[in-house]
Amino acid sequence: MKRNFTILAIVMLFTLVLTACGASPDDTAIADLQSQLDAAQSALEEAEAAGDADLAALEAELEAAEAALEEAEAEAAEAEAEAEAAATAIAAQPIVVDMWLQATVTEAGPPPDDWIAYQIIEEELGVILNYTIIPPSADGEAKLNAAAAANELPDFFQITSATNDTRGVLLRYYELGLLAPVDDLMAAMPERVEKHYNDANRNALYTFDGQQYGLPEPPAIPYREGVVIRQDWLDNLGLEQPTTLEELYDVAVAFTTQDPDGNGVDDTYGIGAFVEGNGIGRRFDYILGAYGVPSGRSIFDFRPGHEFQMYVRNPEYYDAMEYMVMLNEAGVIDPDWPTLSKDEFRARWKQGLFGIMWEDFAALTNKSNYTPFDENFPDAQWSPLATLAPAYDGESYYNSYDGRGQVFAMSAAAAEEGKGPRIAAMLEWMATDGYFLLGFGEEGVNFNITEDGFITTEGIAEADAYNSPERQPYTQMRNQLIYYNTKLEISARYPTWERINGETMYPLDYLYFFQEQPHVDAVGSQVILPPDNAADFDRYYAEGQLQFILGQKELNEDTWAEYLAGLDGLGAVEYEANAEQEVRDAGLLK
Amino acid sequence: MTTKTKVVRSGRKTSRREDRPYQIALAFFLFIVLMIIVIPFWRVVVTSLTPLNTYIQGGVPYFLPLRDWTVEAYKQLMTHPQFGKALTNSTIITIGGTAISLFLTVPLAYGLSISTLPGRRIILMLILFTFLFNPGLVPAYLMVTTLDLQNSFWAVILPPAVSVYNTLVMMSFFEGLPEELMDAARIDGANELQVLFRVVLPLSKPIILTIGLFYAVFFWNEFFTPILYLNDNDLIPLPVLLRNILISASFNEFVEFNAFSSTFIEALKSAAVLITMLPMLIVYPWIQRYFTKGTLVGGVKE
Amino acid sequence: MGVKETSSDSTPFNIPAERKSLPLSTRLSNLLRSIKRHRGIYLLMLPPLIYFLIFKYGPLWNAQIAFKDFKPLLGVWGSPWIGFENFKSFINSFYFTDLILNTVIFSTAKLVLGLPIAVILAIALHETVFVRFRTVVQTIVYLPHFLSWVIMFGVLLMLLSPGNGLINQVLEEFGLEPIGFLTSPKWFRSVVVSSYIWKETGWSTILYLAALLGINPHLYEAAKVDGASNLQRIWHISIPGILPVIVLVTLLRLGNILDAGFNQVFMLYSIPVYSVGDVIDTWVYRQGILQFEFSLATAVGLFKGVIGLALILTANQVAKRVAKQSLF
Repeated sequence: MKRNFTILAIVMLFTLVLTACGASPDDTAIADLQSQLDAAQSALEEAEAAGDADLAALEAELEAAEAALEEAEAEAAEAEAEAEAAATAIAAQPIVVDMWLQATVTEAGPPPDDWIAYQIIEEELGVILNYTIIPPSADGEAKLNAAAAANELPDFFQITSATNDTRGVLLRYYELGLLAPVDDLMAAMPERVEKHYNDANRNALYTFDGQQYGLPEPPAIPYREGVVIRQDWLDNLGLEQPTTLEELYDVAVAFTTQDPDGNGVDDTYGIGAFVEGNGIGRRFDYILGAYGVPSGRSIFDFRPGHEFQMYVRNPEYYDAMEYMVMLNEAGVIDPDWPTLSKDEFRARWKQGLFGIMWEDFAALTNKSNYTPFDENFPDAQWSPLATLAPAYDGESYYNSYDGRGQVFAMSAAAAEEGKGPRIAAMLEWMATDGYFLLGFGEEGVNFNITEDGFITTEGIAEADAYNSPERQPYTQMRNQLIYYNTKLEISARYPTWERINGETMYPLDYLYFFQEQPHVDAVGSQVILPPDNAADFDRYYAEGQLQFILGQKELNEDTWAEYLAGLDGLGAVEYEANAEQEVRDAGLLK
Repeated sequence: MTTKTKVVRSGRKTSRREDRPYQIALAFFLFIVLMIIVIPFWRVVVTSLTPLNTYIQGGVPYFLPLRDWTVEAYKQLMTHPQFGKALTNSTIITIGGTAISLFLTVPLAYGLSISTLPGRRIILMLILFTFLFNPGLVPAYLMVTTLDLQNSFWAVILPPAVSVYNTLVMMSFFEGLPEELMDAARIDGANELQVLFRVVLPLSKPIILTIGLFYAVFFWNEFFTPILYLNDNDLIPLPVLLRNILISASFNEFVEFNAFSSTFIEALKSAAVLITMLPMLIVYPWIQRYFTKGTLVGGVKE
Repeated sequence: MGVKETSSDSTPFNIPAERKSLPLSTRLSNLLRSIKRHRGIYLLMLPPLIYFLIFKYGPLWNAQIAFKDFKPLLGVWGSPWIGFENFKSFINSFYFTDLILNTVIFSTAKLVLGLPIAVILAIALHETVFVRFRTVVQTIVYLPHFLSWVIMFGVLLMLLSPGNGLINQVLEEFGLEPIGFLTSPKWFRSVVVSSYIWKETGWSTILYLAALLGINPHLYEAAKVDGASNLQRIWHISIPGILPVIVLVTLLRLGNILDAGFNQVFMLYSIPVYSVGDVIDTWVYRQGILQFEFSLATAVGLFKGVIGLALILTANQVAKRVAKQSLF
């Protein structure tokens, strides 16, 4: 019996020593080894006391084990020294980091191989950066999902979702065990955290089981979209800006039927739109918002003081639908709207096809985008339109805001290979010494800084300017990892410019106007996971509403009740309960 | 018995000349078809050449005034810094892919066309099975990563190298070849390789060119597998580059310093598709020569 | 295509008379001799067969994830079995009947309407004596094949938009109401099928043309001597000459009956026409690929295969009887 125990102890010892030699030793392993050795020693002492015959052999083993332990300790010390050496002269052994990001300007292509930033990242930060530009939306999500399925995710990457549900995608990867926590990274990049990851609520969205798994960048400038109306058309027809739904209807009809552009041809519509977002899309949110139900970005009701449920359950939603039906019957919406894509929609306002639309401030006012319209209609004027008067007993909203931004993650494989610290160092560099280089280029070559600290292209050759088409490849990472919405950035990104008629265009005026309008805070919608039958549910939800609006189905109390019952048949009640739970758990229900 | 392969020129020109009403009706029919194809297609060509201002003022015109056109859209695409590289990549993928595809397809189709080949039916069934059952994205992706082919052109070329459809079509053409010719060659002492190269292939130029064209067009237009498997920005082929350029208008919310302001997205799309068509436009008439010559047909003459 | 009579015993797909009456030993030795005789062919077929093993059967092996709760870290083999759950969730999904119906309608209409048109066009091209004209037509009709569906959508919008589309402008000239072809459930299917035919007919003509050119010209000469009319000549020589290709293409298309053309439908459809336009593949795209339900997507792929297999087997029997042609 005793003998068996001794042999067992020896075998254990042996195994441990062998493992210790094979694996790279670290402190815990050494501690383990030490304690096991102690155990073996005491076993040996026991055996000795019993006068075992194998004593000599055992002693030899013990010696060997002790030698191995020493060796392991020495190795560990060596590794530590190495790490220190690496910290001082990191270039000695740069490591490869695969990074997949979307592009800021997809048409511009990647930076060239001899890009100075690559050199700096390799020489100063010890990272050989393999920068892959992945497509946005569905293609990019398919690429990432396939890589995830094969457990081949890159070291560091941007979460990409065709449905804009980045948190859902990240959660899925986390549940599959493909992601590494980023808490250590956060600790290793204090300045970046202060600039980019300073919102505890946002970080909390990506924290599971006490560890954070995503690096959520600040959202794109909040509240950047709004309603604009052709002021010149209003003036031509002697109309005022609409402030109520009734007036909006009248203006839309006038725009459609009274030849607002005075070209003698009946070729205009009141309202332009396309489907983007939930249900009928978010291009009508200002109309639904007048009924208190702006559902384009979140189908759940996040209004303070209201029951948490789907917007469609409010009786006001039915009224909003009736109004939409009325608009459609009057033929004042561009009839192609349900089938258009974003670029077709944008081509149409540039053609002067309609006079009222919901648009992104930058897409409307930036020089590159506005110029074609300007050349065609030099005297035209798009005026921002304020929130319409409420059409129910409550507050009117412009839109809802979901605060979604870009999220980045590190793969579990990268963490295992010990790439975390260098990735953190690189990210920190991007927020500090590398900020201007990656965001704008080289000072004095691609931009200058004015006395009051803003970016300018004065004194810079046109082709070298940071905002020239030629320079776009060099700042491809700017919208992903560099910018964090400072005044400096915003003024550099959306400068004023002179229109053909000599007026000055102030893009930021539109932004500030939109930002002042009342929005429903629907940040909580980020944590809501789609139901299992998402494809069916989403289809039913959107299809039913469009059928009513387009007159394919008559809208009345009965058919609306049927529609709602159908939603319940598809699990709406359960979906609502789950959603509420998720939002509550995240502490985002006010 | 002597065998003689003879290329017979189509004799129809003389034999049917007398039938004028019939030929005129035929020509009329073809003319109608031509118009149905040309009119919408013309829109694509015109769109690609329409100047921005014309477009903004009244959309794409049905007929472009003679002087009012621009190659701006083509310029925008073709002066892209990655264009040359992407073109090279596409050429490599297309030529390499087509060569490998034919190298694998022709022997397989030939083997399957031999009705006396033991095991033919089983092989046919096994191949057909893969035609019917499409395992989908992830099983295919897993296979590529298992073989560690990702991030190389092999990942784009090999998985789709043999199309069952093309194989079976080619098989049916080989089956239509006169058996006697092959048998005669075998009796003359030719082995199977020699039969394939000396008898079958010379007689099968139209079908091999047709299938080669099918493969080439497939590889030339392929964009999804390159997106999935190629990570190196320098490896992307032309369709992916063009897609990246075009996608910007649809997805980029932050149109701040847009690279393209002197043209519009529809023109770019149309120009892109016409650029990708160009090589096929050049190659096709050459292939067509083999179609119109009245190619085949050998006969067995005593 | 060579000199081909259409008597039933020389149809191209048929295996020659089986020799079941012979004793086993003779049959075995015959077989061995036959295998030996064809060893060169087997050698030739080896690379493609290895290719099939790796690149077609490899993924099919991985397709077992259809029956599994696939976890990347556990791999294909290590993931836990869940039986037919994925198949069930597809078959029990809310729009299942709709999806199948739409898919079958699209693919059947494309086959039934598209194939005869392609054959007629091929024959017309083959019959005409104006060689230059034929070359022009032939070159032009195959061009639309290269238009992607993204472009096609743009073209269709220009033609069909109720606001400023060409066709609606014509309708308005005649005092008719404009029609929202792309957003109206009444018209959407016609748009899909006819735009497909417009785009692909020329391309599929290539195959039939190649087959027609393979017909022995002597047959036509003989027909002329016999005084056959144009129609008789087409009916008795041209059609039988390309029948094997027609049968083959039809059979293969039937095998893929549950593929309605994802790219096309995906580009053309929009929410108002989901009821007549949503097909299996667009559903799988929305539910499977984008929701990371790859097992589900794979299961649907296998489901489609089973249906395709059943159809192709049936159709093969029918073709054997009716057209004296078969694939196996």
